[in-house]
Amino acid sequence: MFDLALLSLRNIFRNVRRSTITVLSIVIGFCALSSFGGFIDFTFEGLRETTIRTQLGHMQIYADGYWEKRISDPESVLIAKPQEIEEMLADLPGVSVITHRLSFSGLASVGNSTVNVSVIGIVPELEEDFADFETVVDGRNLRPGDTEVGVIGEHLQKGLGAKIGDWVTVMTSSVGGVINVIDFQVVGVVKTGSKEYDSVFVKIPIDLAQKAQETDKVERIIVLLDDTNELPKLLPQIEQRLAQLDRDFETRTWLELAGFYTAVVSLYTGIFNVFAIIVGVVVMFSVANTMTMAVFERTSEIGALRAIGAPRIMLVCMFLLEGLGIGLIGGLLGIATSYLISYVIDFLGGIPMPPPPGMSQGYQAYLSVTGNVLLKSFAVTLLASIVSSLYPAFFASRVQIIEALKKS
Amino acid sequence: MSVILLKSVCKSYLSGDGRLHVLKQTDLDIKKADFAVVAGPSGSGKSTLLNLIGGLDRPDSGLIEIDGVELSRLTDSKQAAFRNQKIGFVFQSFHLIPVLTAAENVAWPLYIKGVNRKQRMLRARELLSNFGLATHIDKQPDKLSGGQCQRVAIARALACEPQIVLADEPTANLDHKTSVEIMDLLCSLNKESDVTFLFSTHDQMVASYAKRHLYLEDGKLIENAVDAHIDEGVGCV
Repeated sequence: MFDLALLSLRNIFRNVRRSTITVLSIVIGFCALSSFGGFIDFTFEGLRETTIRTQLGHMQIYADGYWEKRISDPESVLIAKPQEIEEMLADLPGVSVITHRLSFSGLASVGNSTVNVSVIGIVPELEEDFADFETVVDGRNLRPGDTEVGVIGEHLQKGLGAKIGDWVTVMTSSVGGVINVIDFQVVGVVKTGSKEYDSVFVKIPIDLAQKAQETDKVERIIVLLDDTNELPKLLPQIEQRLAQLDRDFETRTWLELAGFYTAVVSLYTGIFNVFAIIVGVVVMFSVANTMTMAVFERTSEIGALRAIGAPRIMLVCMFLLEGLGIGLIGGLLGIATSYLISYVIDFLGGIPMPPPPGMSQGYQAYLSVTGNVLLKSFAVTLLASIVSSLYPAFFASRVQIIEALKKS
Repeated sequence: MSVILLKSVCKSYLSGDGRLHVLKQTDLDIKKADFAVVAGPSGSGKSTLLNLIGGLDRPDSGLIEIDGVELSRLTDSKQAAFRNQKIGFVFQSFHLIPVLTAAENVAWPLYIKGVNRKQRMLRARELLSNFGLATHIDKQPDKLSGGQCQRVAIARALACEPQIVLADEPTANLDHKTSVEIMDLLCSLNKESDVTFLFSTHDQMVASYAKRHLYLEDGKLIENAVDAHIDEGVGCV
């Protein structure tokens, strides 16, 4: 097989100009695919980390039955003594932060303006890592020791017409179903990039949230890890520890809770797959053209090889190896070129992108040229090269020896 | 002992004016170590006859036996293996693989046969050295003269130690001096081994080398008839 591969390799370099054009078309196709794949991987990663660090954490712990009873009987599915659970999980290696939250919805009023809001009660000293993706546009974020203060979303501030220092009244119903009212002073305005979220977002200390809900319990415990990729390993360990308690819990991972992220990944992956098919077809036509030309040009050689005893399968292998060789050369050059493109974009400070749908701010995009992206691009171009060599290889093997020898 | 046996072989082709009968009930019996020539005018069917004997084409009817094996009974892959091991081909246009060196060209039939790389390269170098091409072993065909290419082609034909070498107009693309050298080479190979040589030519000088003369005319082989058509040559006796 080595000699056949060597013969195929020499045949690739026989017509340098044609092979170069073919390899170039593969490299261009590869780079288009890897750049697009790198872009969407970057987008996925950004969206994933935003989703995790602004809202969901890597996983959430609820009282058993939370998802069934959270509307009809919210009081029964709140978690008492969350600190007990947090202390039990805190020493697990890979766990970064464990905190708890209590959220509710209500109506916020400033003067004559009233807006529907989504209030979240947090522990300020434990939420610093969750605030990575929040940008304070005015004032400050919550601090440990804060009592009757709050931070509101940028668009909510506009809706309420509130300024830093203004008092906001929030009317809600407690977990017991009683109408309750709290007041807090606006100390900061933040934006997360999500216009919808920023239009309803209110963040207050958990004590104030518990006062509004007339409870000393919490709704959920949120676990943030050092590394998102560690979740599959840590989840069973966390569940195992929870099982040791005399209470029942249920857990949800960020992926189960992040419907928007899942929808975006599904959409982009679909687009990538369609794009991969298009690139694959272009590469196939290019390689098929080269291989067909090669078969026609070397018909007499094919006849000679058959005459001296080469079986048909050897000719099929010879031309498939040529296709494979072209695909490999194109793929390897594609990898190098993809890294170069990624490096240049990094060097230039990224590609300025407009705000995505539903977001309020643009961002700098980079190409996340990962092994996964390169592997997919490599597989597409290599497969296209081999598949497009099949017919020419088959055709070569069926050439009539006598007719082939006449073409010298 | 017959190494090439043809009985009532017919072969025809479709041409513009209808069917062209190239071979008509042709019989032939070539013995081991024969050095035979098939002569005849262009288009008389010399190449067709050699192609049929070499298993490169199939007859319309009749029997072709090579070394006791009826070729038409073999599958395509078995025919290929049979050609590889029993028959060597020398073509008018050499048909060397341009991207391979002289030694690699000679070694290629051995590769097909499954001989390991070391042994086949050793055999190729030995053959090329015997043919006076020791200094051209690593050259590709485009760096060789016509005569050198044909010697490489002959070495390739002999690489698998075949019983038969079929040479279709082996000197047609060569000048007179080189033609003589090639025929001398084929002649000496025939004398030194039991290999049967059957070649076609329309060159009377080349035909004069043969021990046995066959003339193909109007689809029929005529034994010794070539003598009447040729001048006296060097001969291979």
